[in-house]
Amino acid sequence: MRTSDIFKLAFKALRDRKLRSFLTILGIMIGSAIILALIASSSGLSAGVQSQVSKIGANTLTVSSARQFFGGGSSSGQSYQLSQQDVSTIEAFQGVSDVIPYYSQRATISYGSNSIEGELIGVDTSALSTMYKELSLYSGGLPDSYDPSAAVVGYSIAFPTGSSDQLALNQMISITLGGSSSGSLTFLVKGIFSEYGRVLFSDIDATVFISLQSAQILLKTQYFSGLYVMTNTAGDVTTVQQEIESYYGTEVRVMNAGSMVSSVESITSQMTVFLGSIGAVSLFVAAVGITNTMFVSVMERTREIGILKALGYKPRQIMGMFLSEATLSGVVGGVGGTILGYVLSFILGGSLSMFGGFRMGGGPPGQASSASASSTTFTPVFTPELIAFSLLFPIGIAVLAGLYPAWRASRMNAVVALKYE
Amino acid sequence: MELPSSTRPAVQTIDITKVYRVGHIDYPALKGVTLKIAKGELVSVVGPSGSGKSTFLNLIGALDPPTSGRVIIDGIDLKKLNEDGLALLRNLRIGFVYQSFNLIQRLTSIENVEMPLIARGVPEKVRKSRSLKMLSAVGLAPEADKRPTELSGGEQQRVAIARALVTRPALVLGDEPTGNVDSKTTHEVLSYIVQVNKTLGTTFILVTHNPDVANMTNRVITFKDGLIEKEQYLQRMDSYTRS
Repeated sequence: MRTSDIFKLAFKALRDRKLRSFLTILGIMIGSAIILALIASSSGLSAGVQSQVSKIGANTLTVSSARQFFGGGSSSGQSYQLSQQDVSTIEAFQGVSDVIPYYSQRATISYGSNSIEGELIGVDTSALSTMYKELSLYSGGLPDSYDPSAAVVGYSIAFPTGSSDQLALNQMISITLGGSSSGSLTFLVKGIFSEYGRVLFSDIDATVFISLQSAQILLKTQYFSGLYVMTNTAGDVTTVQQEIESYYGTEVRVMNAGSMVSSVESITSQMTVFLGSIGAVSLFVAAVGITNTMFVSVMERTREIGILKALGYKPRQIMGMFLSEATLSGVVGGVGGTILGYVLSFILGGSLSMFGGFRMGGGPPGQASSASASSTTFTPVFTPELIAFSLLFPIGIAVLAGLYPAWRASRMNAVVALKYE
Repeated sequence: MELPSSTRPAVQTIDITKVYRVGHIDYPALKGVTLKIAKGELVSVVGPSGSGKSTFLNLIGALDPPTSGRVIIDGIDLKKLNEDGLALLRNLRIGFVYQSFNLIQRLTSIENVEMPLIARGVPEKVRKSRSLKMLSAVGLAPEADKRPTELSGGEQQRVAIARALVTRPALVLGDEPTGNVDSKTTHEVLSYIVQVNKTLGTTFILVTHNPDVANMTNRVITFKDGLIEKEQYLQRMDSYTRS
């Protein structure tokens, strides 16, 4: 008996029971799709986090007033505010190489017909290259520290997607600060950064940078939104964090890039295990479904099996015929599941981005969560191994599930089978 | 020492018995049948229900092993064959025709006829043309793409005969082959069987209740209570084929 004939007959048998075959295959598809989508999404998520961390560097800490992270929960009013005094204090700690204070506030940036949700950061612009590795200028230059109207902007502010209006050097932009009613501020664009991407919870491409002094004057405050603390080595990060925390107690919140990564990764991996086991369970259910469908099919076709035996089909051939029906279900389910999983992982990527829609320290309380330009998106990662797995694993499962019913079919007694009504 | 092919009997049984066990009770269906059927014979097996004739047919059709005794088909002792060997023997040497036709309902006529050829790996083109030829021999070429449910009983039986003969078997076993068809179809089927028997020398063994069928065979073997009651040689009534 030719292999091609075995598969032709199996295909015919599946086609003759369209609905039942479809439902069986659907079960396999869902299992395969879920597993593929989850693994691709979670490896995409951790790859994204890792690339952001590599930009900011493992020797960086962020210090911010504790209050800003709890949405103004302290009713006593006065929470700790970071000032120049704190910069000096922290600079004196063992292992600290540099402390860079910054102001940060959510802002709406408008020019021409564009209105972009982003962030305004006031910082010593010459320190930007220390804070963000490999950040480079696309055009123009860094603004002079004492020029209160000069700004350098991120790439997507200058070149927003889906808009024909673009920003040129020395053009004016108008900025409305989130949560303030003080009207808008106007800046002259002196430089545009190249495309950079996200760094943890900030989208550099959607940020307007002005000098620290300008921010101080324009925002009418001497208190900083936060401090970037650079340590001498990545190994100093933990000890410096402990020093700061023991000095300030709960007045400030210290974030460490490495620990953020590990917490994101532990969430990701827990999610992968949890959702992956749902996928595994659904594949197992699909396998039970195949076995069940096959048993019903073998029973229904008892007489057909008797006929095949009388016509001289060997037990092994009969087993092959039934097993290839299961295999075909697995192949179709695997291919369909892989395609479905591919689509699903992008949908999942979109919905997971909601979790990442908050920013790193700064901005007035209550403003921190509504992000638009700066949500964490990630691209699912599909390795050839993963694709091969999601194609082949369902086939393996299907073959295993079909083995016993097919064997039962092949062992049937011809005379009894022929009399079966 | 093996006899030359031409003188070996098509079917030989030596004191075969078959006991069916249901629960703890044994039902002897065959109690010792010894028989020789020569090549080219057209034999009918008659007898009341439960006399063991269908059991006998299953044993010589290599579908079921005897409880004791030997079944020898064209010099081959079935005891010496394993499952695969028995399947191969059925495929190469034996054709079956059943009262209930036993066609696969979801396949078309031509696909049903092709089935035994698929088992032996005949390429699709060859088996299609052989099956179509066989279908036209039984007058059903126009019905090649119809399923059994679209055919009359007589037509279904002719498809079943085409399927039994497409492998050019040396032996054809019929279990009440005309039991479910009208008398006109019975005549057609019988005259075709006689014709194949005469022209190709195919051995036929037909289990039947119908005296008309028995009367046109060369030999009538009567079973009773699991034993051969009598054997009767007939002058074949060739005129039957003309009626």
